Amino acid sequence: MRSAASLLLSACLLAASAASAADMNLEARLVWGTNDEKGGPDCKPVDAELSANLHRMFKWKNYFEITNQVADIPENKTRDLKMSDRCTLRIKNLGGSRVEINCIGEGKEVHKRADTLLPHTWLVLGGNDKNNTAWFIGLRSDAAGKVISKN
Amino acid sequence: MKHDLQLKVQAWLDGELPDREARQIAEWIARDAEASALAAELGCIKKAMFRNEAAAAPGESREFYWSKIERQIQREAGLRRGAGTPWYARWRRYLAPAAGVAALACVLVMAVRQNGPPTFDEISSTIDGMEAVTFHDQTSQMTVVWLQDNTPASAANIPVQDPVLSPDRPVPVSDM
Repeated sequence: MRSAASLLLSACLLAASAASAADMNLEARLVWGTNDEKGGPDCKPVDAELSANLHRMFKWKNYFEITNQVADIPENKTRDLKMSDRCTLRIKNLGGSRVEINCIGEGKEVHKRADTLLPHTWLVLGGNDKNNTAWFIGLRSDAAGKVISKN
Repeated sequence: MKHDLQLKVQAWLDGELPDREARQIAEWIARDAEASALAAELGCIKKAMFRNEAAAAPGESREFYWSKIERQIQREAGLRRGAGTPWYARWRRYLAPAAGVAALACVLVMAVRQNGPPTFDEISSTIDGMEAVTFHDQTSQMTVVWLQDNTPASAANIPVQDPVLSPDRPVPVSDM
């Protein structure tokens, strides 16, 4: 009886660990690129790593973080990450570090793609905005399954 | 007497010196008693050797005789190279470079797989009027998908008041 219980417990633990291994811990940041020295009241400068990466590739002097969303997405499940009132990311975990990303602006599907998110590497969606500014949405996964701390 | 002078006397006796040096040595031998004695002794030895040396005839032509020696030397040298070399040592000569090339290829493949850009996959679609350009920065290991608005308003460089995707960004301080 005792051995059967321990067997059942082991099976449950194994199943739980397998399920958590298939989960994707994902972080999404909405960033605003501008030449202005200061952002708005609710935003703060982007952390040094992402800022350096953006500075390397783009012309804007300053990058301000507007939204930071974290999601834990089980395999074959979809989560909506609301980046702003008008922009939502719909992300499906396809398994094996692959995701389907659906960028939705004001209810319209603006861009849809499937990508492999390598651990700790940024996938950035971006575009021009008015007054010579730009928006960016940075996405990355945490392969170790650790919860990415929200800034 | 020094050894090199003794050799000079011997060379003079054998007629191996140039004329000028031969004359100098001859004058010196005529003056010096010790040199004269040495020259006389060497001359006697030369005569004795010349008369009593057995003539060795190979019994075959000179060319054939030396070609036999040459072939023998070559045969022995080949045997020496092959003898004592195990088969794997001979193969190692070819296998070592091949293994090096294979290892290099493995390293290159692994490097490309690790540093290569993420795989861009089968699904990619963009709303009409927009264009998506994807590029990858190897240094920062960052992939960027740039969504370019190609609507007439944007193409004419007229600021779009409310772009479809534009997030609700905060108003810059300068605009407040």
